[in-house]
Amino acid sequence: MAGGYGAPRRVEKRVSVTASDQTRASTEKQGFPPWLRFSLLTILLWGVWGALSKAVSNEIDAYLNQVLFTLGLIPLVAVVLRSHRLAGGRNRRRGIFYAFITGILGGTGNIAFFKSLTVGGQASVVVPLTAMSPLVTVLIALAVLREALSASQKVGLVLALAAIYLLSL
Amino acid sequence: MHIPVWLLYALIALVFWGITGVTQKLSTNHISTQLSFLWFAVAFVPIALVILATVPLDWQVKPRVFWLAVAGGTLNGLGAFTSFAALERGGKASIVIPLVYLFPLVTIFLAMVFLHERLTGVQVTGIVLAILAAVLLSREAPRQGDASR
Repeated sequence: MAGGYGAPRRVEKRVSVTASDQTRASTEKQGFPPWLRFSLLTILLWGVWGALSKAVSNEIDAYLNQVLFTLGLIPLVAVVLRSHRLAGGRNRRRGIFYAFITGILGGTGNIAFFKSLTVGGQASVVVPLTAMSPLVTVLIALAVLREALSASQKVGLVLALAAIYLLSL
Repeated sequence: MHIPVWLLYALIALVFWGITGVTQKLSTNHISTQLSFLWFAVAFVPIALVILATVPLDWQVKPRVFWLAVAGGTLNGLGAFTSFAALERGGKASIVIPLVYLFPLVTIFLAMVFLHERLTGVQVTGIVLAILAAVLLSREAPRQGDASR
């Protein structure tokens, strides 16, 4: 994802389709399917965030930006706290541990991202560059988790390295 | 080879966010995306506390800038919510995730229109390759027997 908490690479299938979901799905047949609308909304939200971060970085430093970003998460935490899906999980302690680590890494990444924008990086360059984070994810999967690369990932790997080179010129 | 400072910071962000791709997956293998997001957000508190304790901050900022920075956190987190919703409302991960990695296109459009950023031909080529790379790299092959992906 962008900064912060992105789309999980792959979530475990644990959602049971309820009757109300099915009713909703049938009423939403016309136009964009719900998943596409949510995907486009994600593109919009993260895209606006990238430009907004640059606009703000012209006026405040990276550290204050990160503190204020944290304040912005509060309303979302308030929403999540009401979720009935906070209970359960196969190994809660381990899941929470990795979520916490994700937050520490994500927040530190944020500071570096804001720094890049403050010291003169253009949003139109820095955002596409940092959005290549799946490059690192794939390399770790390859090195540590011994996962095989798909053909498209191999092509993506080459393009990513070429992109970093071109953007460094 | 001279690496500009902004690029160095951008690469650091790339690496940190890249690792979160793995840790987030490890987390959501065990708990719901909601609980995972909650603890992700909780981790931002110690980071903010360390900043407040160690970095002298200039709080003399325009109210508009202050609230835009706060809104940044909300927009970013909201994007995570909508991406989960896309996956839970019938979107295949192998389509939704590469699709949402097109978000830099929106940033580029806004940056050119509102922030008056200008790009060289080489930068445009690099950006096109970067976006293609992100889309291709985030595309995992569907698992066998997993019809939902």
